[in-house]
Amino acid sequence: MATEQTAAFEKQPMWAGGRSPFNVSYGKLMMWIFLLSDAFTFSSLLVQYGAQRFSNAESAVTTKWPDPASIFNHFPFMHGVHLPLLFVSVMTFILILSSVTMVLAVEAGHRNSKKEVQTYMLWTILGGVAFLSCQAWEWATFIHEGARLDSNLFGITEQGYKHLESVGFGDHFEWEAGDRTFGPVPFAALFFIVTGFHGFHVFSGVVINVVVYIMTLRGVFERRGHYEMIEKAGLYWHFVDLVWVFVFTFFYLI
Amino acid sequence: MDFPTKPGEYDPINYVPHADSHGTKELWKTFWILLGITVFDFVIYFVMPASGLRNVIFILFGLVKAYYIVGAFMHLKHERINLALMIIVPTIFIVGLIMGLLYEGNAIGLMK
Repeated sequence: MATEQTAAFEKQPMWAGGRSPFNVSYGKLMMWIFLLSDAFTFSSLLVQYGAQRFSNAESAVTTKWPDPASIFNHFPFMHGVHLPLLFVSVMTFILILSSVTMVLAVEAGHRNSKKEVQTYMLWTILGGVAFLSCQAWEWATFIHEGARLDSNLFGITEQGYKHLESVGFGDHFEWEAGDRTFGPVPFAALFFIVTGFHGFHVFSGVVINVVVYIMTLRGVFERRGHYEMIEKAGLYWHFVDLVWVFVFTFFYLI
Repeated sequence: MDFPTKPGEYDPINYVPHADSHGTKELWKTFWILLGITVFDFVIYFVMPASGLRNVIFILFGLVKAYYIVGAFMHLKHERINLALMIIVPTIFIVGLIMGLLYEGNAIGLMK
């Protein structure tokens, strides 16, 4: 029946009004438009980050942009071990995995399988909470290292540069007193703003997921006859994953 | 029930097109691709010294991951081309803006 309805519907003239020209529901279209505007928000932050970083790349040693590998090199319970990129890769893996469980929930919703939707939504929520916990640890470590919104201690003094030179610019290396000084302010500021903004999106995503999970439990979508709300929550959740791909690339890899 | 033959006979705000399941095969394939690219990122990070080329590789990998997330997970591959273009075309301009401002940022750095 539903398929016949869709077929009849699709015969309507597309741009003559009175129907959705993109053949998606009103709610889903609005979600896409919101995501597009959110993409612009994140882009403006990343453009700012790129321009700031490049304007510090070639200047004097002491105001050089800090090397992320020498700062984001911690891992829980591995104190003092130089492990760049490892923790953030684990975070990426968690987010990709929770994206998969989300899309499996959407797929189960297409089959109107309430039980499966519940299971997968619960896994997705757990993934989101795990990611947020990791990010809290990452922030705590970064703040402990001396990063603040308005200053940070990741600049290198002339003495520090000579020290670094003496060990052949190795990655793993203990700073001595007087080696470090205030680094470029945007380094920590943009880290906090961009990962904070992303983390807030993850938090909102978890809240949305909890709401639709409870709605599923209470059988709201079963009565409605379709699980499109899971799909809309899923679009938002995947967008958060998508933003993380670029945060990961620009803040940690490059 | 004949649906919807005349305008005004249905409520466009509540109309939800019927969605079919495509199965989970494509989704798991996408997961393995994303995981593979992330592992590859990780490997390149350690085996290749930092350079402009390495950065370009990372950005290209990021765009490939974005393609799979948006195409398969967000289902845009299976939506109408109108919708896909409305979303993708403006973001292409952002890539241009980023390239332009990196160039300008670099020029500012040289003058500092």
